[in-house]
Amino acid sequence: MSGALPALILMTSLAPAVITFFLAQESHRLRNMLNLGGAVLKLVLIVAMLLSVAGGATHEATLPLAPGLVMLLRVDALALLFVSLSAVLWLLTTIYAIAYFGTKAEASRFFGFFSLCVAATTGLAMSGSLISFFLFFELLTLATWPLVAHKQDKPSLRAARQYLAYALPGSAALLWAIIWLESATGPVLFTDPPDLSALEPASLRAIFALFIIGVGVKAALLPLHGWLPAAMAAPAPVSALLHAVAVVKAGAFGAVRVIHDVFGAETVAALGVGMPLAVLASATILWGSIRALQQDEIKKRLAFSTVSQVSYIVLGAALGSPAAMIGGLAHLVHQGLMKITLFFCAGIYDERAGVRRIDGLNGLGARMPWTSACFSLGSMGMIGLPPLAGFVSKWHLGLGGLQAGAPWVVAVLVASTLLNAAYFLPLLYRLWFLPAATDARGNEAAPGLVVPAVVTAVASLGVGLLAASAVSPLGWARLIVERGYFPGVGT
Amino acid sequence: MSALVQGSLWPLLVLVWPLLLGLVPLLPAGGRLALRVLPLAPLPALGFALAGAPGTVRVPDLLLDVQLGAGLTGMPGGALLIGMVAMVWAVAGWQAALSMAPGPQTGILAGFWCLTLAGNLGVLMAGDAVTFYVAFAAVSLAAWFLVVHDRTAAALHAGRVYIILAVLGEAALLAGLILAAQAAGSTGIGAMRAALTEGATPALALMVAGFGIKAGMMPLHVWLPLAHPAAPVPGSAVLSGAIVKAGLAGMLVFLPPGTAMAALVLVLGLTGAYGAALWGLAQGNIKAALAWSTISQMGLMLALAATGAGAAAVAWALHHGLAKGALFLAVGVVAAARSPRQRLATLALAGAIAASVAGLPPTGGALMKAAAKGAASPGLALAITASGTTTALILVWVITLLARGKAAPEPSWPLMVAGLALLGGLALGLPWALASARPGLDPGYLLTPAALAEALLPLAVGLVLFVLLRRLLPLSLPWQPRLPRLTALRRPPLAGRRLRRPGLSRSSLSRSCLRYLPADGFLRHWPAAGSLMALTVLVMVALLMHA
Repeated sequence: MSGALPALILMTSLAPAVITFFLAQESHRLRNMLNLGGAVLKLVLIVAMLLSVAGGATHEATLPLAPGLVMLLRVDALALLFVSLSAVLWLLTTIYAIAYFGTKAEASRFFGFFSLCVAATTGLAMSGSLISFFLFFELLTLATWPLVAHKQDKPSLRAARQYLAYALPGSAALLWAIIWLESATGPVLFTDPPDLSALEPASLRAIFALFIIGVGVKAALLPLHGWLPAAMAAPAPVSALLHAVAVVKAGAFGAVRVIHDVFGAETVAALGVGMPLAVLASATILWGSIRALQQDEIKKRLAFSTVSQVSYIVLGAALGSPAAMIGGLAHLVHQGLMKITLFFCAGIYDERAGVRRIDGLNGLGARMPWTSACFSLGSMGMIGLPPLAGFVSKWHLGLGGLQAGAPWVVAVLVASTLLNAAYFLPLLYRLWFLPAATDARGNEAAPGLVVPAVVTAVASLGVGLLAASAVSPLGWARLIVERGYFPGVGT
Repeated sequence: MSALVQGSLWPLLVLVWPLLLGLVPLLPAGGRLALRVLPLAPLPALGFALAGAPGTVRVPDLLLDVQLGAGLTGMPGGALLIGMVAMVWAVAGWQAALSMAPGPQTGILAGFWCLTLAGNLGVLMAGDAVTFYVAFAAVSLAAWFLVVHDRTAAALHAGRVYIILAVLGEAALLAGLILAAQAAGSTGIGAMRAALTEGATPALALMVAGFGIKAGMMPLHVWLPLAHPAAPVPGSAVLSGAIVKAGLAGMLVFLPPGTAMAALVLVLGLTGAYGAALWGLAQGNIKAALAWSTISQMGLMLALAATGAGAAAVAWALHHGLAKGALFLAVGVVAAARSPRQRLATLALAGAIAASVAGLPPTGGALMKAAAKGAASPGLALAITASGTTTALILVWVITLLARGKAAPEPSWPLMVAGLALLGGLALGLPWALASARPGLDPGYLLTPAALAEALLPLAVGLVLFVLLRRLLPLSLPWQPRLPRLTALRRPPLAGRRLRRPGLSRSSLSRSCLRYLPADGFLRHWPAAGSLMALTVLVMVALLMHA
C-alpha cells in the first residue's frame, strides 16, 4: 500500500503541463522532449502499477482538503483500465500532435492544456471519492476549453462557447447531486458504498438523474450531445483525444462509477432507473448513427459516430448484468482505439491532402495506402466486423442484454451494426474504388502522423484477435467485473 | 497458465496457411507471384481431408477461445465437405493462375481470395459460435472482392447488391448466434444446437435468414444471378462450388429437423429447386443460367438438410460442388480452346459433367441422387425424382449457351483442361468410390431396369420439353433486380435542414446567456490562467505525496 505511485503518475502529466506554459513558442525541442518524456515515464509507471494491481495490491493517497472533503487517489482495477488507455493514447497523440503542429503558432499553450487535460483524465480515473472525482471532472471541463478554441477562428470559438454552455450546467447538476447525496450520507468513497437508506427512493431517483445529467453531458447522451459534433472544429489531435479518451470517456467512466460504486447495481435495479437509462443509451446509439449518415464532413460523421458508440459503454453499465458490464468496460478501451485511429486518419486526410468532405476521399486509397488501410480497419471495427475490437464488445453487450432480461438490446445492436455499415462502407468504397479527382493531391510522407494511426489500428485488431487472453482489455474488464462488481460470477 | 495451443496443429495449419499466402501480394515483388500461389493455398486442407480430418485444437487466447475440428461441428461427413471445398478452390486457383492477366487489381483479388478460402474452411471446422461467426464473416464479406474484381458497371452493381445482402445476413446471424449462445449458456456448437432443438424460434429464424442468403435460398437468392456473371470465371467457380456451401453447412450445423423453421426451409428449398431452374431458362448469359441452376440445386440440398437427411445433403453438396465448380471453369476452358477439335472435346467433357448433375446413370450424380432418395421421406424423394426434369431443362440450355460462346484461344489450354478434367472426373467418379468403400450400400441396384427407368424418365421428359419450349418461346428475358442506391440512404426525408443543429445552440436562451459571458477575450490569453490552474493541482498533489 503506497501513496507515491498514483501521485507520481499524476505528476508525469502535470509537471510538463506547468513547465510548458512558460516555454517560449520557439523552444520546440525542449517542449517536445518534455511532453514525450512525461508520456513515456507515465507509461513505465503504469506498467509497474499494472503488475502490482494484477497481483491484488491497491494504491491510495489521501489529502483532507477541509473537514468532510477528502481528496483521495485510489487505484483499483477499473481505474487502471482507464488510466492505461489514456496513457497509451496520450503518448501516441503527443507524437501525432508534434508532427501535426510542427512550428505552428501557440504550440506552448496547446501542449500545456493538452497535458493538463490528460492529467485531469488521469486524476479523474484514479479518484477514490466523489469529491475528488468532481474536482478533476471540472479541471477537465476547463482545460478542454482552450483546446477546442485553439484555432481562434469563428467556428472554433463558437464550438468552444457551445461546449461550455453544455458543460457548465452539467457540472452544476453533478455538484448538486453530490451535495444532496453527501448531505445525507457523509463523504462517499468508492470503496465502501454509502448507506442510502436515509434517503427516500424518490430523492434517490432524483439524485441519480442529476448524476446522469452531470456525466451525461460529457458522455454525449441524448439530448445533451449537441456540443460534441460542434467541437470537431478543433484541431485533429484534440478531436482524437476528446473522442477517444478525455472528455466523452470521462463521462462514460463517471456513469460506470455512479451506477456501480455510488449506488450499486442492486440499488439501481431496485430504484427502477437502470432500464430507463439503458433505453436512453440505446436511443442515443441509434440517433447518433442516423445523424452520422446525414453528414458530409468526415469529422462530423465521425463525431456523431462517437455519440453513438460511447453510449455502448453507458448501455453496458446501465443494464447491470455481468456480461453487459464486461462488454461496456471493454468498449471503453475498444472504442478509444478505433475512434482515435479514425480521427488520426481524418486529420491526415485534412493536413496532407486537404480533404475534409466525404467526396474528397475518392481514390485516396491509392495515394495514401497506409492511412486508408488504418481508416478501413477502424471503420470495420466500428461496424463490428470480427475479429476487430468492436465485435467483441457487441457480442458481450448482446449476451448481457439477454442476461438482464432485455432482448431488445440485441435488436439495437443489430440496427446499430447496419447503420454503421451504411455510413462507413460508402467511405471505404470511395477510398478504394472510385477514381480520384483530376486535381487530387496529397501524400502520406509524414511518419509522425501515420505511425500513431498504424499503431492504434493494429491495436484495435489485436485486442479483438486476442480478446480471450488475460492481458487484453476484455480480460481486464472480466477481472474488474469478477473481482469487484459481481464476485463469484464466472463468465 | 494453459498452453497456447492445445491439441493437434493440423486444423490450425489448414486455416493459417491460406491466410499467410494471402499476405504474398504485400511483398515487394508479390504482385506477380500472388496469382501463382493460389493453387497452393488449399493444399493443407486437402491433405487434412484425405487423412479423414483428424484431431481438434483449442487456442484459448485467440478471439473468445477458438475451437477447431471437423468433429466438433456435429455435421455428418465434415471431412468430405472440407476435401471438396479444398479441391474446388485448388483447381479454380490453378485456372486463375493460368488464365488471369496480372494487373493492378490482381494483388487485391489474390489476398481476398485466400481470406475467403480460409473463411470457407473455417465454417466447416468451427467448434464454437464465435469462430464460426468470424469464419462466416470472412467467407461472406471477402468474397465481395471476387465479385467486383472486373470493376465494370455490372460488377459494381452486383457488388452493391451482394454487400447489402451479405451485411444484412451477417447482422441476422450475429443476433441469432447471440440469442442461441445465451439460451445454451455456452458458445460451444454442440450445446447451442441442443438449445435450438428445444425451441428458440427467433434465434433460428435469424440464423436461417443469415444462412439462407449465403446458400441462395429463395427469396434471398437475388445476389447469385448477379454476382456469378460479374465475377471472373475462377471466382464464379468458387462462389457456386464452395462458398454457397457455407450457408448449407450453417443449416446442417444449427437447424434441427422437425422445427417450424425447418419446415419453412423445406418449402423454400423446394420452391427454389423448381422455380430457379425454370427462371434460369430465361437467361441468355451462360454464367447467369448456371447461377440459377445452382440456386435450384441448393434448394434440393436445403430440403434434404431440413428433413434431417444430413448425410445425403452432404453427399449431394460434395457432388454438386465439384461438378458445378467444373462447369463454371468450363466456361473459361471452352473459350480458351485453340482448335475446333479441342473445343468439341471440352464441350463433351462439360456435357458429361452436366449429365452427372442431372443424374444420368451411370454417373456419380445418378448414384448420389439415388442414395439421397433412399434417405429422404417419400414425398421429398418424389420431388427429387421430378426435379430431374427441370434440372435437365436448365442444363441442356447451359450446354447450348456454352457451345455458342465466343472463342478466345489461349496457349495454356492443355493445362486448364487438365484441371477441369480432374474436377469433373472426381464429380463423376468419387460417389462410386465412396459407395464401394462403405459396406451395406450396393451401387449395383442403380443398374436394374426399374431404377434406370426411374432415373431416365424425368430426363427424357426434360429433353422433350426443352425442344418444345425452344419452338414456342423466345428464351431470353432480361431480368435484373434493382435495389436502391446506397447513397439514397444518406438523407432520410424525416431529417431535413431543420434538424441540422439540434439542441441548445439554436435556442435564444443559451444565446443570450452566452452574450454575457465575457470569457472569449479573457480566455484567449489563458496560458497564465491555465498554468495557475495546473499549479494549484500540482501543489495539491505534492501535498498528497507528502501526506
